[in-house]
Amino acid sequence: MEKNIITSPDTGDSCIHVKHSSGLDIYICEMPGFSSVEALFGTKYGSVNTMFKMRDDKEYTVVPEGIAHFLEHKLFENEDCDVFELYAKTGASGNAFTSFDKTCYLFSCSKNYQDSLRILLDFVQKPYFTQETVDKEQGIIGQEIKMTNDNPEWRVFFNMLRCMYHSHPVKIDIAGTVESIAQIDADLLYKCYYTFYNLNNMVLSIAGNISADEVLAICDECLRPCEDKGLETVFPDEPDDIVMPEFFETQPVGAPIFNIGYKCHDCRGQERLKKTMAASVASSLLSDASSDMYKRLLDEGAINSTFGTEVFNGDGYFTVIFSGESSDPAKVRDALIEETDRMLREGIDEKDFERIRKSTYGMLIRELNNVEAVANLLINAHMDGVGPYDTISVLSHMTSKDVLDFMKEEMVREHMVMSVIEGEAD
Amino acid sequence: MEYKRTVIAGNVGFSTVIDEKFKTGSLVIRFMVPLDSKTAAANAMGMSVLTCSNSKLTTLAKLNEKLSALYGAGLSSFARKRGDVQILGVAASWINDRYAFDGENISGEMTELVRDCLFAPNASDGEFDADSFRITKKEMLDRIDAELNNKRGYAISRAAEIAFRGEPAENSCYGTRESAEGVSSKEAYSAYRKLLETAQVEIFYVAAAADPALEKAMSESFGAISRQAEPVVFRAKSPLRSEVVTESDEFDVRQCKMVLTFKSDSDDVFAMKLLSTIYGETPVSKLFMNVREKMSLCYYCACRTVASKGALTVDSGVERENIEKAKTEIIRQLDEIRQGNITDEELESALLSLDNALTQVGDTPNSYSSWYFERFCDGNIVTPEQQFTEYKNVTKARIVQAANSLSLDSVYLMLDKEAAE
Repeated sequence: MEKNIITSPDTGDSCIHVKHSSGLDIYICEMPGFSSVEALFGTKYGSVNTMFKMRDDKEYTVVPEGIAHFLEHKLFENEDCDVFELYAKTGASGNAFTSFDKTCYLFSCSKNYQDSLRILLDFVQKPYFTQETVDKEQGIIGQEIKMTNDNPEWRVFFNMLRCMYHSHPVKIDIAGTVESIAQIDADLLYKCYYTFYNLNNMVLSIAGNISADEVLAICDECLRPCEDKGLETVFPDEPDDIVMPEFFETQPVGAPIFNIGYKCHDCRGQERLKKTMAASVASSLLSDASSDMYKRLLDEGAINSTFGTEVFNGDGYFTVIFSGESSDPAKVRDALIEETDRMLREGIDEKDFERIRKSTYGMLIRELNNVEAVANLLINAHMDGVGPYDTISVLSHMTSKDVLDFMKEEMVREHMVMSVIEGEAD
Repeated sequence: MEYKRTVIAGNVGFSTVIDEKFKTGSLVIRFMVPLDSKTAAANAMGMSVLTCSNSKLTTLAKLNEKLSALYGAGLSSFARKRGDVQILGVAASWINDRYAFDGENISGEMTELVRDCLFAPNASDGEFDADSFRITKKEMLDRIDAELNNKRGYAISRAAEIAFRGEPAENSCYGTRESAEGVSSKEAYSAYRKLLETAQVEIFYVAAAADPALEKAMSESFGAISRQAEPVVFRAKSPLRSEVVTESDEFDVRQCKMVLTFKSDSDDVFAMKLLSTIYGETPVSKLFMNVREKMSLCYYCACRTVASKGALTVDSGVERENIEKAKTEIIRQLDEIRQGNITDEELESALLSLDNALTQVGDTPNSYSSWYFERFCDGNIVTPEQQFTEYKNVTKARIVQAANSLSLDSVYLMLDKEAAE
């Protein structure tokens, strides 16, 4: 196995990448001076992957919504005990999460990382479900779904996605619905497990107070080689246009909240990274706390400091989101349209562009200051098909024309949607 | 790592933590005063407005433009409570100068900017600049209104209000909506001046290298103020009620919340922390393993200590039909500890979990700053290693004693409206 050292030309930070003989991609970042260790063992399997086949399959398999998240919950149990009980013996804090495009199992600790890593690698490779434990989990996840339905930030976000996407499963709640998870059984879980938890579809990232040689020795000991079976995931055809321009819901909130988003064209790899950075700089130029639009809306009382932006994307979806609290979200939407038009007409002030670029660079430097952030950066970059330090490089080569081009092509009024959660009337 | 605290003016401590691994400089200035319903809102606003503008950068836009040009340096104000104490402050952070493209002196510029915000605010004739104050006030009112958006946090706040009724800790660190609405710019300015003159102040600077210019700037600025600090009491045990109080609210929610507050007269904070860890702070705790996993009564069920008030709270997300069953089981699990039913594995795993958490102190600038600030409040500045030795010395008997010192004081329920009808 060859250890490839990847170094950032911009900051001098470096990490090690190994393509393990088992099929697994491994990223290791030794961080001298830090006490903690963060490890993530993840698969490219999230809530959007509801349709898939292997090279030898004739037909695509379609699975119920929420099954990736369900599987994540179930992997925490092995035949003898709960995984948390194993971590309790090392002192590590174990956890897991399922997002739209990945499922990750993780631990953080400051001592005995070797034993914790063995636990992590072992339990993720050893599924154990029975119909009885599956039935019980349906109750627990049902409660989780209810809890997230009470979270207005979550609701406003999914309502926005439902305004944008006709068919893409990104519009479905990660945990599914009480009805969809009722269709899940042990056999279906095993099928999904053996499809997506193939080491060729997985990544291990580990950062902090570690030794790369020790990590690799543990990987040699614990990883079971997998044959690459040519996994293929597909998504339903998604038209460019939106479903509806706005959606309002009532919930018990003290302050109304909104998400305003542009539905953009999706892409992959380096192209997606470039587009993400252009979108990030564009949204900052339009609306960050030093912009004219922010000042105007703040003066008019239409926004407060919760106002922010996010670029949200993955396989088959790409959006730029403006969110916050407002008693008049339509005013925010109108201001955004007006400001975008003005910038497209007048161009980008180079001084402003340089300032936002510096500010974004500062944020990326801060990420490298934190063990957890570094471990996440390594796994996310790999799953997005880019190098760990490519973001800073893309930023340093970006021009204001790239940003303007993005705005021209993607921040189109017809593809803009607004979702609002309003408080209950007294 | 080097930690050093010096007193730079009357009741003003300046602590530095130098750790060369950091790529950022981080500064937190905390003002501590007794929490009081009459002054909480004005104090919070008087501090918050300082990060909206200053006498040189006279609008929020200009201030933000400067921060953005300084590689996205962070500047914010905060208010929180710790028991009966209101803690207000300003936090700033920035990347090390060596990462600047054009050789900018980021740390020097941030020192000046923070100093201007704190000591040369955008104010005249005893009032803050009207625009800055208007923005701050709206922000504060929105923040108070938005507390309900986070149902779990809201339930915990309501539980504290009920458990500590009649004590300073019943108040929010922002004051009530009504009191915040009534604060004028003049009152906020007077509150700010009073904070400068009478609050106990602790400053923490965490960076890769010492910055004598920063310490000098703070020392000169605080030294120029005639100060008479008011004492604050960091630990004031809350008295137990004679009968358990239960209060509830109804909202259009799908999951109910239940928060139980227990109170104790024990001073054994180390035993109480171990008890809390075993009882409900980890995924192998008694509450998680039994109430959630075995009995599926709650989606979450966790506990935490409120050492400053001698209290322990258990908060849970629960379906209405399971509320009574969950409450009974939560208390039964505490009874198990009261009867000494703690396994060696449970104790060992609690210690390992604490050891891991303590060893991680120092991996972020904030964790250093919080650690040494909390120890300052405890009146005992120790390292994480020294604290862990205290935990290791706790016996099962002390944990049982701590459990037996706890009595249920109050219960808060957030109920689902539809089921109620």
